[in-house]
Amino acid sequence: MKITMKRWVEDIIASSDRKAFPFMAGTGASLAGVRFADALRDAAKQAACVGALAARYESAACITFMDLSVEAEAFGGEARWMGDETPTITGRIVTDAASAHALAVPAVGAGRTGVYLEAARLAAEGADRPVFGCHIGPFSLAGRLAGMTEALLGVHADPAMLHAVLRKCAVFLGEYARAFKATGVNGIVIAEPAAGLMSPAQCAEFSSRYVKEIVESVQDDAFMIILHNCGATPRHVDTMASTGAMGLHFGNIVDMADVCARVPPRVIACGNLDPARVLKDGSADEVRGKTLELLHRTAAFKNFLLSSGCDIPAAAPVENIDMMFSMLNAYNEKEAARVR
Amino acid sequence: MARNEKLFGAIIAGKKDAAVEAVSEAVGAKQDLEALLEESMIPAMKEIGDRFSRNEAFVPEMLVAARAMQAGLALIEPELAARGHKPLGKVCIGTVKGDLHDIGKNLVAIMLKGAGYEVMDLGVDCDAESYRKAAKEGAQAVLLSSLLTTTMTYMKTVMERLAEFPNVKVIIGGAPVTKEYADSIGAHGYAADAGGAVGAVSACLGRA
Repeated sequence: MKITMKRWVEDIIASSDRKAFPFMAGTGASLAGVRFADALRDAAKQAACVGALAARYESAACITFMDLSVEAEAFGGEARWMGDETPTITGRIVTDAASAHALAVPAVGAGRTGVYLEAARLAAEGADRPVFGCHIGPFSLAGRLAGMTEALLGVHADPAMLHAVLRKCAVFLGEYARAFKATGVNGIVIAEPAAGLMSPAQCAEFSSRYVKEIVESVQDDAFMIILHNCGATPRHVDTMASTGAMGLHFGNIVDMADVCARVPPRVIACGNLDPARVLKDGSADEVRGKTLELLHRTAAFKNFLLSSGCDIPAAAPVENIDMMFSMLNAYNEKEAARVR
Repeated sequence: MARNEKLFGAIIAGKKDAAVEAVSEAVGAKQDLEALLEESMIPAMKEIGDRFSRNEAFVPEMLVAARAMQAGLALIEPELAARGHKPLGKVCIGTVKGDLHDIGKNLVAIMLKGAGYEVMDLGVDCDAESYRKAAKEGAQAVLLSSLLTTTMTYMKTVMERLAEFPNVKVIIGGAPVTKEYADSIGAHGYAADAGGAVGAVSACLGRA
């Protein structure tokens, strides 16, 4: 869809209706009758899942699948597939300074990155709303290459080596982001959950500065970045905002009202229904209650965009997702009537 | 014995070399090594764990503190073992079957070792038999970790398999895990984070 994303942001802020943009790839797979793991390897199937979601829900935007193994696999990491899940990277391909410096930056298209770019292109074709691609953030990627424990240890023990790996991650992710932009999608969600495990100052040094480079290389009025960090606390908001991303996305561990108070008013603040406990395991009443509670708590913040705290598990009942959107509509109708 | 402030501070600050130096000095001065462990080293790990729970310290600080602790411990463990020093308890930890995520599990294992427990790290993708075997080998507490909603349900299977060991305590944790879920499957304890895991184990084993 041809749209100026700056205008999309402004419309969200100006609208009297609240809008929603949950991450629900698993639900898309259910609706499209596609095996979730198959959609991670097949662009057409992935795009079909995105289309199925758009056909059922009035979400403010769509997003391709969030798969945090794709980029590490492109670098040469071993992806282990288990059941119908997103694969997990096992082992480490960076083990010391020598291997960090020898690490080769792959070409865009390596591994399954080509699948995700094609899925983005297909999903964007003829879309009736903005479509976001998705890729991993630099620190989360570095953790998958060097081992997450080792990367976090490296913050204190060997920052030079960590930065050497991060530089290569940022180079690749910058190219990958530009490739996503060329597919016709309207933006990218950068998923950087591991950055929330660090202090705000460490997040600034080992994540935000690299994310900012990616943002500055692709974001403009027509193309926006949403930075997702489900491990972030309210204290991380400033460093996340320093990246310049036009949207920030938070997990269910934070009080969204507390977070919204810290997010710059012209930046979209997204979150944060619990994807597992509420949207997957919750009863209809719980989904109803939690959705309304979140909407009421964030009522004062015009830049709030209702979402899930992270990717909603594939096993989440479609009825729960239906209920979330139903409650959003009910809330909007009630607010409109109240204002009248 | 008064707290060894140099060692206590070195561990909290994650200064491995300083911790080793402080322990070496204590060994050279023929200080009571058990007291050194109980009065300086374990309290240092507890302090960093408490700071983590208060969001005053983060995972990198926990990891370097644990590394400093382990470096110091390596110098005195043989001597302590020779004197019959016993760990606080024997526990096992593993990420459950179908789940390969290990950062949380690794952190908890490090914290438990730092707190004075003997830890059997079963790794990831652990089936119920692995935990049962660990219980048979003397684990007094079994810690189950999972990061995926699809794998946390296996914790119930593990609980059922451990029924033949009624005295073994099961403590669970991980991103999708909640206290309510722990209660629903009859787990003995729940840990919201790595710092809380040590407290949960200590409470379950009566070491609190």
